[in-house]
Amino acid sequence: MNSFKTRIIVKLEVKSNHVVKPIYFEGLRRVGTPDEMLQKYFSDGADELIYIDIVASLYQRGIDYEQIKKASESLYIPLTVGGGIRSVDDCSRLFDSGADKVCINTHALQSDSMLINNAVKIFGSQAVVINIEAKSIEDTWTCYSDNGRIPSLKDVVEWVAEVEDRGAGEIILQSVDRDGSRKGFDFNLISKVMERSQVPVIISSGAGDINHIVDVVKEFNPHGIALSSVLHYNDLDITLIKESIHNELT
Amino acid sequence: MNLPNIGVVNIGSSGNVFNVVRSINSTGAKCGLINQEDDLSKYDKIVFPGVGSFPYVMDTLRKNNFHDALVNSMKSKPTLGICLGLQVLCRVGYEFKETPGLNIIRGEVRKLNCSGVVPNMGFRTIEMVKESPLFKGITKKDEFYFMHSYELINHTESIAISEYSHHHYVCAIQKDHVFGVQFHPEKSRESGLRILKNFVDF
Repeated sequence: MNSFKTRIIVKLEVKSNHVVKPIYFEGLRRVGTPDEMLQKYFSDGADELIYIDIVASLYQRGIDYEQIKKASESLYIPLTVGGGIRSVDDCSRLFDSGADKVCINTHALQSDSMLINNAVKIFGSQAVVINIEAKSIEDTWTCYSDNGRIPSLKDVVEWVAEVEDRGAGEIILQSVDRDGSRKGFDFNLISKVMERSQVPVIISSGAGDINHIVDVVKEFNPHGIALSSVLHYNDLDITLIKESIHNELT
Repeated sequence: MNLPNIGVVNIGSSGNVFNVVRSINSTGAKCGLINQEDDLSKYDKIVFPGVGSFPYVMDTLRKNNFHDALVNSMKSKPTLGICLGLQVLCRVGYEFKETPGLNIIRGEVRKLNCSGVVPNMGFRTIEMVKESPLFKGITKKDEFYFMHSYELINHTESIAISEYSHHHYVCAIQKDHVFGVQFHPEKSRESGLRILKNFVDF
């Protein structure tokens, strides 16, 4: 019997003041504004929220801090914010705007991995989350950035080990092949990463129905699941998900 | 009713000071920042939030010549340490290296001694082992958000215990008017706000 419950986390992908839901990281659909959706998922019983500006890195600009400040008002659960973080100062500004954790991918993956060490030194491991966008190529997975657009030379499993050595406190594991597809999680990828990982892994990408979610919790007992499509399109709600997991595991 | 003035210690590393201030404001209390020694006299009570590392917080307090004045204020003013803010109240910490703490309460801070992966992150229930004004209206069903890799080793001032991966650890302490919680009340929904309100009312 596990002594912790899998956290049910909602992942919001934001593009110029709209929450969007890409399919396979492409083809955007608008589903609401960040403040109304964060507030809705807080009220619905989410354990945590993730806010990712999905075009900040692409345009090499920072996140809209005022928007984070507004959107995080009256949210009394943890909020992780990512997108376009290039420096420790960027992290500071996010914490000062209401973030509880920062989530880093592009800059650490493609140009300066020391950003992870430097952020950990100041803010602590627990506040530094690494976002991984994994794409399968034959039997391995490669790390991508910029919403699954740009490949790197890093193998996912090796990168997990590296970011943990650098002090990262949590990993969000997304699959470029599954994200937005609602076809179910990539069990092979999750199993490879969870075998290796020494920090909590938040699994994401592919949930389409309640069985996908219950099955992945039964199989891996993950620390958290980050959901978006199934919630944005009202296929499932958080209370039902929590009850189903509870009933299945007890 | 005259609500007290609450000062939140801001050592300039950002961290979660902003959210702590927001949550205290939501309880109706008047709340401001303690940025330097002079600010201490403006407030009746002290909240010490903490994000970062044990040595970083202690180094910053010493560098700003803030350390002695803060310890002095804590001798008479009701104080609430949150997460790392709880940990640095101790005699000594072992994050990265051995670092002396504020030495307000006995005990030391060591890496979480459990088989599960760390940090311990997520909502957990707590077991209250001593009565405390901090827990007014709190039941064993209330859940609080934890995010930490280190734990407080103390068997005398502990008022609540929690469990992660079959390991029991101290999650709240009280020594007279000094309180500390390992979890984040500012991120623990209504249960957390209740704890903050209880501290405001103490």
